[in-house]
Amino acid sequence: MPTVVLMDVSLSMTRPVSLDGSEEFQRKNLAVHGLNMLFEHMASNYRMEFTALMAFSSLWELLVPFTRDYNALQEALGNLEDYDKTCVESALNGVSNVVQQEWGSACPCQVIWQGYVYGSLRHSLHTLKHHGDDKKFPLPFPFPTKLFIMSVANAEELQMTDAMDNLEELLRLSGGDGQIFTMEGPLCMKNVQAMFGRLIDHAYSPFHAVLHCGNLSSDVQVFPRPEPIVMDEEVEPMPRSVNTDLEIVGFIEIADISSPPVISRHLVLPINVNKEVDEVGTGATDELEEEPSASQMAGKSPNFCVLLHGSLKVEGMVALVQLGPEWYGMLYSQADSKKKSNLMMSLFEPGPDPLPWLGKITHLGPISEAAENPYGEDDSKSPFPLQPPVKRSYAQNVTVWIKASGLQTDVQKILRNARKLPDKTQTFYKELNRLRKAALAFGFWELLKGMADLLERECTLLPDSAHPDAAFQLSHAAQQLKLASTATSELVKLD
Amino acid sequence: MKMFSVSHKTVFVVDHCPYMAESSRQQVECDVLTKSRGQGVIPLAPVSKSLWTCAVECSMEYCRILYDVYPLHKLINYIVSDSEFHILNSWRQEDQSTHELMSALAAVGPPNPREDPECCSILHGLVAAVESLCKITELQHERRTTLMDTAERVANRGRIICLTNAKSDTHVRMLEDCIQETILEQNKLAAGSDRLMAIQQCDLVLIHIHPQGDDALVSDRPKKEISPLLTSEVHSVRAGRHLATKLNILVQQHFDLASTTITNIPMKEEQHANTSANYDVELLHHRDAHLEFFKSGDLHMAGTSTRENGLKETITLKWCTPRTNSIELHYCTGAYRISPTDVNSRPSSCLTNFLLNGRSVLLEQPRKSGSKVISHMLSSHGGEIFLHVLNSNRSTLEDPPSISEGCGGRVTDYRITDFGEFMRENRLMPVSESSHDPSGKLPVERAKGQLERHTRYWPMIISQTTIFNMQAVVPLANLIVKETLSEEDVLTCQKTVYNLVDMERKNDPLPISTVGSRGKGPKRDEQYRIMWNELETLVKTHAGATDRHQRVLDCIIACRSKPPEEEERKKRGRKREEREDKTEKNGSKDTDDKSWQESERLKGLLDKEEQESEVIKDSPDSPEPLNKKPRLCTEEVQPPERAKGPVSLLTMWSNRITVANSRKHQEFVGRVSSVNNKFELYQQLKDENGMDVHENGKASR
Repeated sequence: MPTVVLMDVSLSMTRPVSLDGSEEFQRKNLAVHGLNMLFEHMASNYRMEFTALMAFSSLWELLVPFTRDYNALQEALGNLEDYDKTCVESALNGVSNVVQQEWGSACPCQVIWQGYVYGSLRHSLHTLKHHGDDKKFPLPFPFPTKLFIMSVANAEELQMTDAMDNLEELLRLSGGDGQIFTMEGPLCMKNVQAMFGRLIDHAYSPFHAVLHCGNLSSDVQVFPRPEPIVMDEEVEPMPRSVNTDLEIVGFIEIADISSPPVISRHLVLPINVNKEVDEVGTGATDELEEEPSASQMAGKSPNFCVLLHGSLKVEGMVALVQLGPEWYGMLYSQADSKKKSNLMMSLFEPGPDPLPWLGKITHLGPISEAAENPYGEDDSKSPFPLQPPVKRSYAQNVTVWIKASGLQTDVQKILRNARKLPDKTQTFYKELNRLRKAALAFGFWELLKGMADLLERECTLLPDSAHPDAAFQLSHAAQQLKLASTATSELVKLD
Repeated sequence: MKMFSVSHKTVFVVDHCPYMAESSRQQVECDVLTKSRGQGVIPLAPVSKSLWTCAVECSMEYCRILYDVYPLHKLINYIVSDSEFHILNSWRQEDQSTHELMSALAAVGPPNPREDPECCSILHGLVAAVESLCKITELQHERRTTLMDTAERVANRGRIICLTNAKSDTHVRMLEDCIQETILEQNKLAAGSDRLMAIQQCDLVLIHIHPQGDDALVSDRPKKEISPLLTSEVHSVRAGRHLATKLNILVQQHFDLASTTITNIPMKEEQHANTSANYDVELLHHRDAHLEFFKSGDLHMAGTSTRENGLKETITLKWCTPRTNSIELHYCTGAYRISPTDVNSRPSSCLTNFLLNGRSVLLEQPRKSGSKVISHMLSSHGGEIFLHVLNSNRSTLEDPPSISEGCGGRVTDYRITDFGEFMRENRLMPVSESSHDPSGKLPVERAKGQLERHTRYWPMIISQTTIFNMQAVVPLANLIVKETLSEEDVLTCQKTVYNLVDMERKNDPLPISTVGSRGKGPKRDEQYRIMWNELETLVKTHAGATDRHQRVLDCIIACRSKPPEEEERKKRGRKREEREDKTEKNGSKDTDDKSWQESERLKGLLDKEEQESEVIKDSPDSPEPLNKKPRLCTEEVQPPERAKGPVSLLTMWSNRITVANSRKHQEFVGRVSSVNNKFELYQQLKDENGMDVHENGKASR
């Protein structure tokens, strides 16, 4: 889930923070400090995240396009300049454009809005009601959004004006998924760190889990963090979260799982838990020296993920994995290029039967229980896909006469076969019965009479050379159709 | 869409009163004469459908599309109304098919024009519809049961689609009022019942059908709220084609459907088989398949066209002829069942048959820029066709670190092939829900159980294991992981063990990895010790499962050459161990040590007959004292692995010695009177010790 950092560079951010007996800061310094800390954290614990840095005042500018290069982001933070006043609307429009250009409109995004004065917000929200359809307010974004508002002010300060209410309104407009962070206590480096610490815990702490396959297991990081989801607010309002124990239940061929729909995709990266993961990202210098040896050691001890990935790739299979109660996903090898490939996990929609062609996941059992291997001795067969109990309309030769052509085709088919009696007796009656059945269901008795007339006419048109049976069958069929169209729906089959 | 939205329950109420027998006045020419037969034949007069026929066939089409796209949980209850109501099916899942409904409709037949119009009314059906909406469905029941104390989250909403010929707007208002009253009445009833639920929301869709050419006596009216429980809308439609279009639009609105037209489908011409023309086929599906277009505002770019009455939009996607049938795992963000709008037209059935035969078709989104973007895929799974939405945006997971750069990435000797084999054995299959397992566990739990058993001892890399690199161990390794063993399985396992004993006696080399050790690696006896230890570890993890598993472990413990005490000693130091080895060679071996020698001796006996002619004069040291253990363990090994491969020089030599030695003394009484080369020693002890003596060679000591 990519992140856009929206940094307020208006003059309001240069407002000094006065602290007794210490050097003077601007609010901007605090904001930059916090963001630096976030970038450091991401560089060491969340480095797969794509992050972009945007500065805004009355205009907006994309300082760093989406990147995983956290040095570049930190560097850009160091070179911020100060501009005039803020304009929230244009900045949000900017975010919307930048994200959609890069990721399309389906990819969920996190927006971190770093700011202080929200004067223009009041104006924007106020005029929101007066917007016409042509000039739409940029929120909600077309893509799923998590909006994190990092305010370089404490809650009391915001509540003195209507800033807090406005921010809450903004959050609601964005779709409600996000949070407002404010500073606790006086404005200082320590408290800005604490505020960003809360953001990191909330949204950027790596998701660690244990992947199990029977007694084999591996510690993994799942990236990006799987988000809790709500399937049906009414029946099940509590969001479902992915377990930290991911349990493989069995294996399925790629051809059988057959490009299933998934709600999200995640990298499954094996991790070495012995290595102390520094959550906050401080003390990075110590780590740098130790890291090479530690990671080299980790590279050399066998890891289940690597084994699993290798075999999934070679065999062309996926592993079905349980993520929680009635929630499943699949693990497979995903090649990024010829050389590079990775273990990926895709999440299915929560529920007992996410893929109709597999049936209920709880009713998938080990093949060893079958009397005969359902895959055949040479893997020539497969127990999948499951057939639905009722065929769909396009698979069962239904009769639809809504368009005249449908009816004409069916009538002509019968007449064609009628002319080839007695050779085509079987198809003739099959088609005739189909028409008769539909006509009875639709209460279309006029058609039955018409068809009877047509068959009688065919009878008179028979050449002398015709088989005597042809005339017999035609008049019999005509008679039966007439009977069906008058008598009280006798469901006697013709033949 | 919520699980229990208005769409969960739809009641069709179709008017079966005498006036519905009236002709729609839309004529259908069904006798299309071909040119060659045209002369002298009077074509059949065109037929025309009655209002009833139009209503039935259009409602059936609505049901067809609905069942195609939502085979489950979107239910229809079909009611016919004349002098009374006739309920043609129930909410039950097995009643939900057009087949069922068509048979029921055939039984009803067309309206009887001679019936007394005074007793006939659509009201009978509408009252029945409200009653029916109060009836709980299987899904509602199931959910209420599982939610227990939060059962009130299960809502009861529904829609009534009434196809009738109303007399006037006042008549329509009267019908609405009547439904409103019935809802209130029924809700009171429902409050006191377990099988009924009060209606929280009911949408009435009243469709007034009138013959072509007649003025509509009823005016259209958009949806309005009659009460908090009831909304109503009125559509006044001419019978025939217009009614069909109306219901097609309604089914899309009611069930969040959208339309996609597949364009440029190459198809062989019916008349000229060697030419092909391009056709279009329109499909309906859940509108989420177009989500990306809606959101990005690309709708018009993506070739939308508005047709007919301006209500119906379709998105055009271009067919891409599939080149290969390669199996690929696409990144797919959604899959939605489809239903062709015109199901039995030739282009439609050509497309659906192509897909049902197992081919997949990628679909391209036309873009103004001319760039080619594959956005969808049509594919069938088990006789159902799905429109898959493929991700065409940049991936946020691009350029990840390769797995070889992470933990365990530098290890090169993973047992990839073995794990592949393991995965095949742990593939899944659907188990019928009706089949009941005695253990009471769900199939998926049994699958997990199997994974657990199969991985109790599973070294991940080749250099960590000896036994899994040995073909000879395969039969045992495959069997021991089973939940239960048959007597035959135990026998196979034991045979495997004896085979290993034989290998050790022959001093066959073992595939011990020399990775990480200097020189040639461990000595042969050390190799066997490692192998036996590993085998014991494997079997020990299963020994607790059943007595038969335990017997396999017992067999290994009995047969392996080194006693556990010696292992302990070995661990203390290599040098000392070597000294001990020397003393062992001097003949002071432990009795247990000789289990293999015993089987060897047996073999010698068997060979004796063949080798009788050979006379060996030379006499080595006196033979070692013969083992005094009962030999039940070894008896199963007969014939000892003679058939297995060529005999080594060592075996030949030791055989000779054995034969020679055996001649140097008088044959034991036991051996002479043995049956199948076995004679039970210490028979008097048998009564005291019971069968243990037989089961386990070691136990006799």
